Amino acid sequence: MTEPILRVEHLSVDFEVGAGTFHAVQDVSIEMTPGRVLGIVGETGCGKSTLAHAIPRLLPEPPARIRSGHIWFRGIDLLALPKWKLPLVRGTGVSMIFQEPINSLNPAFRIYDQIAEAVHIRKLRESGKEPALLPKLESFDYSKRPLPKASDVASKAVTPVPPEQALHRLRWTRETYRRDVLDYLNLVRINDPETILELYPHELSGGMRQRVMIAMALSGKPSLLIADEPTSALDITIQAQVLTLMKELMDEVRTSIFFISHDLGVIAEMADDVGVMYAGRLVESGPVEEVYAHPRHPYTKALLRASPDRYKEDGALPSLPGSVPNLSNLPDGCTFHPRCPLAKDVCRKGAFPPLEAEAGVLGSAHRAACYFSDEVTTLP
Amino acid sequence: MTQPLVEVRGLTKHFPLTRSLADTLYARPREVIHAVDGVSVDIFPGETLGLIGESGSGKTTLGWLVARLHQATSGTIRLDGKDITNLEGAGLRKLRKRIQVVFQDPVGSLDPRLRVWQIVSEPLRAQGARGKAELRSAVEALLPTVGLPAGSLDQYPHEFSGGGRQRLSLARALSVRPELVVLDEPTSALDVAVQAQILNRLVSLQRERGLSYLLITHNVAAVRYVADRVAVMYLGKLAELGNVRDVLERPLHPYTKALLAALPLADPKRRRTRYRVSGEIPTLIHPPPGCRFAGRCPFVVDRCRTEEPALRALADRPDQWVACHRAEELMEIRPEELVQAGGENQPPVDARSSL
Repeated sequence: MTEPILRVEHLSVDFEVGAGTFHAVQDVSIEMTPGRVLGIVGETGCGKSTLAHAIPRLLPEPPARIRSGHIWFRGIDLLALPKWKLPLVRGTGVSMIFQEPINSLNPAFRIYDQIAEAVHIRKLRESGKEPALLPKLESFDYSKRPLPKASDVASKAVTPVPPEQALHRLRWTRETYRRDVLDYLNLVRINDPETILELYPHELSGGMRQRVMIAMALSGKPSLLIADEPTSALDITIQAQVLTLMKELMDEVRTSIFFISHDLGVIAEMADDVGVMYAGRLVESGPVEEVYAHPRHPYTKALLRASPDRYKEDGALPSLPGSVPNLSNLPDGCTFHPRCPLAKDVCRKGAFPPLEAEAGVLGSAHRAACYFSDEVTTLP
Repeated sequence: MTQPLVEVRGLTKHFPLTRSLADTLYARPREVIHAVDGVSVDIFPGETLGLIGESGSGKTTLGWLVARLHQATSGTIRLDGKDITNLEGAGLRKLRKRIQVVFQDPVGSLDPRLRVWQIVSEPLRAQGARGKAELRSAVEALLPTVGLPAGSLDQYPHEFSGGGRQRLSLARALSVRPELVVLDEPTSALDVAVQAQILNRLVSLQRERGLSYLLITHNVAAVRYVADRVAVMYLGKLAELGNVRDVLERPLHPYTKALLAALPLADPKRRRTRYRVSGEIPTLIHPPPGCRFAGRCPFVVDRCRTEEPALRALADRPDQWVACHRAEELMEIRPEELVQAGGENQPPVDARSSL
């Protein structure tokens, strides 16, 4: 059994704002096996983004408050780290791709400088000039990928830079990391990377910006990549291109991916394992094929059925009555009970049902937080 | 043949780019964005015309032109045979009674300082209705038809969820009993479960009131459920037009096929490995000569780059219109062939390689 790369244990995150305390994430436990893609799916406000931002500790605290739990990342509890050590984990340990690439790229710097910065920091850590917090991992396996063509990389003369100068803390020249940056732009299949290097983010299209973001995230050689709705802002055909790219990169670069999306289709396409969140809780998790084929939580079933797949002559769309509960005033018992067709008295009070493995299946990874998970198959 | 409610003929909208003083002094040519370029389409009474396309395809501009929120550069729009392209003043106000719009952004399109009854009755007041009691009772009767409680008259928009706000927008549009409602991305800000509720409501309202819809969206699933006919737009032009089943199940235009192939399926067993359409959407300032999809089309030939294809019906598909030179030859190519199923190892069809 391989050691999980990320283990989140009983994580609870609250937001304390004027209107009250919002329980954005409650008692969520997740394990990620290295090299696999974990997809988290849920509606707006289910806490999936909060969970993603809590892992590299990117939540603004306050108003966010991590009430309890542990986040074990490669043997380090990120919640126990002092604040000044956190940047040492980011970039080379955990990297992130955000939904709106235009908001996460700096408009005042050229693409080259932005990627070069990530490369620079990684080199500092690899060379020991900056204290590295995480144990050294084997580097990426590029063997499966054809080498970049000489014409791509060497069309401009690369001036050799002495290593001590290259690793100077604050300054690097325009040529120092040219080869590295071109390498990463080639990795994300950008046409004409030489030109792109010199452009500013606003000069690129949305799909191109997201490719640059992916290049930047990978240039730190992270062992965990968190992708928070990376394709939701893109058009359908561009989304398909970026998803294709990410899938190809998964074969080339052995990085574990934590993939957040509201789109069941995107998750089906990308993830190996899936977690379904509802109102801050993980309600079901398991291998993606299992969960989609035999959902064991009524919410997952309703979500899967709600995607419109018919013409209007075929009758009304099945829809879930009601709406997502207010996170500051959650119902007792199972938070899903007011909308659930299976709800009985036991669901309406007491604690949230435990996330339990499929009964009778030994060592099943498919777990659901529902007292009546065996009856879910009887739902229409 | 029934008389169409709306007839759009050769409709064009160009947005001028801002010019600097230097541009004017050097008399550089005026540049425009070709948002909508010579579109002709009909909307029949009681039907839904779905308009799909990606961002920048001009679908919203076309919807706004039909609703007369933009002024057309050229072309005509007729409502019941009457030219409405250049209506102004009182005539335009009367037209608003017949054509209403539901906007995409449920937060931005509702005034946060007005109460529900004021928001929903605003079109009535614009049409000259007066009297608080009458307006309130009119709104009270209207709210249940969109699935909101009649008692929420005095609430503010921020008290509603995204779906609730979109219902408010819908109630506001329906308050003047329009014949045509332009739905501009009505569900794109909503989650799947709420989206299903709104789509069901749209369809049942259409049945009850005999409304016509112009549904503008990038969401193919929503079009499949609500639309009777579909127009596919790409870079300001119609690529394909036909009955919803024909277009979605037997698409003719390579772009429609590319769009359908790009949809992620909620089925992990059918995951694809590679999407075989490359390239980005080009700019509308200098649209490519010839077919506008030529730069990305996997089936491009030389003729596509020089000669612009006209929208035409094929001999064996009289109800389906397509703007593609090679439509007959490519008829049998299914969208699934534009993606590579898992395991296979065939080279990608790359538009650039044939340049």
